[in-house]
Amino acid sequence: MAVLEVVGLAKRYADSVVFSGVDLRVDRGEFVAVIGESGVGKSTLLNCIAALDRIDAGSVRIDGIDIASLDEAGQAHLRRARLGFVFQAFHVLPHLNVGHNVGLPLLLQRRPDPTRVTAVLAAVGLDGFAERLPQTLSGGQLQRVAIARALVHRPPLLLADEPTGNLDPATAERVLTVLHEQVRHEGAACVLVTHSAAAAARADRVLTLTPSGIRS
Amino acid sequence: MLTWWRQLSWPEWRHHPWRTGAAFLAVLLGVALAFSVHLINQSALGEFSAAVRSINGEPDFELRSASGGFDEALYARVARHPMVAIASPVVEIDAFAFDSQGRRITLRLLGIDALVAGSLAPALLPRPAPGQDRFALLDPASVFLNGQAAQRLAANGTAQTIRVQTPRGEAQLHIGGGVTAAGPPLAVIDIAGAQATFGWLGRLNRIDVRLAPGADRAALLRDLGLPAGVRVATPDEAAQRVSNVSRAYRVNLTVLALVALFTGAFLVFSILSLSVAQRQPQLALLGVLGLSARERLALVLIEAALLGAAGSAVGLGLGTALAALALRLLGGDLGGGYFAGVAPPLQFSAAAAAVYGMLGIAAAVVGAWVPARVAERLPPALGLKGLGSSAPAPSTRALGPALLALGVALTLLPPVGGIPLAAYGSVACLLLGGIACVPVVIALVLRAVRPPVDPLALLAVERARRQRHSATVAVAGVVASLSLAVALTVMVGSFRGSVLAWLDTVLPADLYVRAGAGGPSSEPATLPAELVARAATVPGVARVESQRVTQISLDPARPAIALIARTLDDPAARLPLTGSLLPLPAGATAAYVSEAIVDLYGAAPGAQLKLPLPDGSEAAVFVRGVWRDYARQHGAIVLASNDYRRLTGDDRSTDIALWLRAGSDPQAVREPLRRLAGELGFDGALLEFAEPGAIRTTSLRIFDRSFAVTYWLQAVAIGIGLFGIGASFSAQVLARRKEFGLLAHLGFTRAQVLGIVGAECAVWTAAGALLGLLLGLAVSVVLVKVVNPQSFHWTMDLAVPWGRLALLCAAVLVAGTLTGWLAARGAASRQLALSVKEDW
Repeated sequence: MAVLEVVGLAKRYADSVVFSGVDLRVDRGEFVAVIGESGVGKSTLLNCIAALDRIDAGSVRIDGIDIASLDEAGQAHLRRARLGFVFQAFHVLPHLNVGHNVGLPLLLQRRPDPTRVTAVLAAVGLDGFAERLPQTLSGGQLQRVAIARALVHRPPLLLADEPTGNLDPATAERVLTVLHEQVRHEGAACVLVTHSAAAAARADRVLTLTPSGIRS
Repeated sequence: MLTWWRQLSWPEWRHHPWRTGAAFLAVLLGVALAFSVHLINQSALGEFSAAVRSINGEPDFELRSASGGFDEALYARVARHPMVAIASPVVEIDAFAFDSQGRRITLRLLGIDALVAGSLAPALLPRPAPGQDRFALLDPASVFLNGQAAQRLAANGTAQTIRVQTPRGEAQLHIGGGVTAAGPPLAVIDIAGAQATFGWLGRLNRIDVRLAPGADRAALLRDLGLPAGVRVATPDEAAQRVSNVSRAYRVNLTVLALVALFTGAFLVFSILSLSVAQRQPQLALLGVLGLSARERLALVLIEAALLGAAGSAVGLGLGTALAALALRLLGGDLGGGYFAGVAPPLQFSAAAAAVYGMLGIAAAVVGAWVPARVAERLPPALGLKGLGSSAPAPSTRALGPALLALGVALTLLPPVGGIPLAAYGSVACLLLGGIACVPVVIALVLRAVRPPVDPLALLAVERARRQRHSATVAVAGVVASLSLAVALTVMVGSFRGSVLAWLDTVLPADLYVRAGAGGPSSEPATLPAELVARAATVPGVARVESQRVTQISLDPARPAIALIARTLDDPAARLPLTGSLLPLPAGATAAYVSEAIVDLYGAAPGAQLKLPLPDGSEAAVFVRGVWRDYARQHGAIVLASNDYRRLTGDDRSTDIALWLRAGSDPQAVREPLRRLAGELGFDGALLEFAEPGAIRTTSLRIFDRSFAVTYWLQAVAIGIGLFGIGASFSAQVLARRKEFGLLAHLGFTRAQVLGIVGAECAVWTAAGALLGLLLGLAVSVVLVKVVNPQSFHWTMDLAVPWGRLALLCAAVLVAGTLTGWLAARGAASRQLALSVKEDW
């Protein structure tokens, strides 16, 4: 079964069409990159998939669940259990230490698991960093914290929005390697929005988003 | 720098108009209130002084009696002296007159020689009304009224006569015309008429003197050899005295009004702190591009100064309008009673406006200092990541305790010129120190709290642990306004309770009687001795005690004080003493002084005091104890009746206290006493009766009226504080939109996000309320134990109205929580997801 099924997705802001007729299927374990011009709506596409933005046409199913059939709380629970996010600007909470930042999704599901947190941190190369505060980390380290947080609860689908946009090429390469390895290791699917050719080259499929749809 | 402000700060202000507007409004209201109170007081004082000058005219000096007047033979000696160009005899009487509804109005009567007085005091020259004989100004039964008197007593000129109270009963005087003298109700009458009508035959109480050209005042006075009881005074002495005695009241009121500005400064602090925190990436970018740390500091301070200037400018206009309205509606008296009867026009002062304008700017800049320092110290690299610290430097951790210690130390200093400046400084230090201690206190409390497992609690607790400075910003406005409100509530409550307890002690009898003739500041009229003796025979009366009150002067530069002779079989029970009584040395005469006498004349227990007696002699007395007196701010001394009679030979009484038999009706005793007075040749209609309950009610009404402006200013300060809570919580929520966006991505429901914010607002507001309550109690101790005694020379017992304080704290808690929750509702919207995008 596909982890993600998008059929005929359309999005409008007022009289302006962002995109329409978007069809996308991502299977478990697949790494899909979505590229396109700036402003074409790549981040909007991810928000629509994650039920963070209203869709104007079409449907989105995650693990077989139609997100339109859920109310706001149901959509939040869906994100909690089945989605992980990595952002361009890391978005690590400055008042929580690294361990708490990473373990937050597990706490949300009321199944705290310090062992799992430690293991994930080690997997991304941040062994022993649990008590550190975000202010003491580099950009690359912060992005690895974000990746660890995105995967700690073993979501079937990971959405990454320009995860290397704020990193230098060498660090970006290392972060992409970690992301790629961990997605594979956890058996998750990943939809990666990017401008980076290097990031896109690592994907199993590269799709191009246009206002009239998505194409290979 | 202004170019940078225009390009960097102005767009920020336009983008957040409500936040900017809140800071602007806080400064505006603070300046408006403070300036309006200042204008009202200054206009009233200026008008009063001008009125006094117009009444007193322009002599070189005055000869005045200490009390009771002097032989008019002195006038002949003065007038004939070659060094004297003009000598004008005056009889000044404070009396009561009756308006058209029969209400008693205080009326100052000046008996003058119209042919002489006009040269020195043109405003007193009687101007006969149209149709009156031109010699009417010499008619001993005609009075000439000033504007206020004509308005209140003569129905604006339509009445032909007025009724006045004299020691011998009511007198009807013909209205002959008017005088141009300004000020409270005043009547001018021929001096012979004044002497005859009011029992001053052969006596004067003032002679105005203008020296001949080249004459030496000292030589003249040596030549004249003034008799005992006559002193030399300057013409503006009365105005100066009112200025001096009202100064503490005016300063206290102005300080209260500045409380609003003080609270406004905290609001500026909250808002600018949040603004700097939110603009971290922009400020960091400017740092990277070349804006130095000092320039970042200056930018934030300029923002504050411009906000302060704009708020001050509008505030001065609003304050002027408020003052004009208040003067029209209330006159010049804000409740202290110092300027009653004055109806002043607004006297605008550009210098005062400049001072208060600068105060507004200073308040804004002071409020912006800490956020400006944060902007200065921002590390650009971390700031670009949004990870820069918004906390002040660690070296400021000692600031809070140091300010608290300084606040305590300042309470030990004496007043400066009768104004408790050090105590006011102590209040400011306690407030600032208490707020500066918030981060340290939070750290101490949370040290014992482990990170919770619940995700909502974890976010709230760890945020509090790691971002204590944000907490300070959030609670600062709550603490400032609530602590001042608590302090004023406790102070007023303590004062009121002490007044009630004092009344219970000084009013033990069931009924009090006195002669109603004479005005409030003149020598009280005496009662017939036989009336006192026979009052006990009136049916229903169980016991009678008499009291004699007279005015004496211990220092010509100060107002007269009351000398009270009364029954003192047990001073400890009869007087509201503030300490224990000293043993009386053998042969000494005991005196019991009020607290004001101790403060103003240094007559502490154990001191010997020389009392000038009404007959001109002096008596040495031993100060045995101090008692609390809320009725006479200038001071009072009590002697036992038998001691007074022994020293003076005066056995007259001015007041009688009656204890009634059980079941007797105080009303039923009045008529028999009036009839008894009539039988003894005293007009029974002049007797004034008062029951303790009525005196208590009147006293409390006067008390509440005198604090009405305080309550109003307190309400405004609370209003600014609550507005500040709303503004700072709203701004904090807006500043955390990215955090809320992230939480939405992670799977927090909207209800959970609202729950976090609501709970944080409740906790921070509760913490602020608790700290505000504690600080407020500390400040109230300063107000009760230091400010009031130093300002008004009386003490009071501290009484904490816990119920009212609980309601106050609850109101603040509800307002803060509700405001934050409402702000969160707006922030936790569908568009939340967009806030995590880097380029939004």
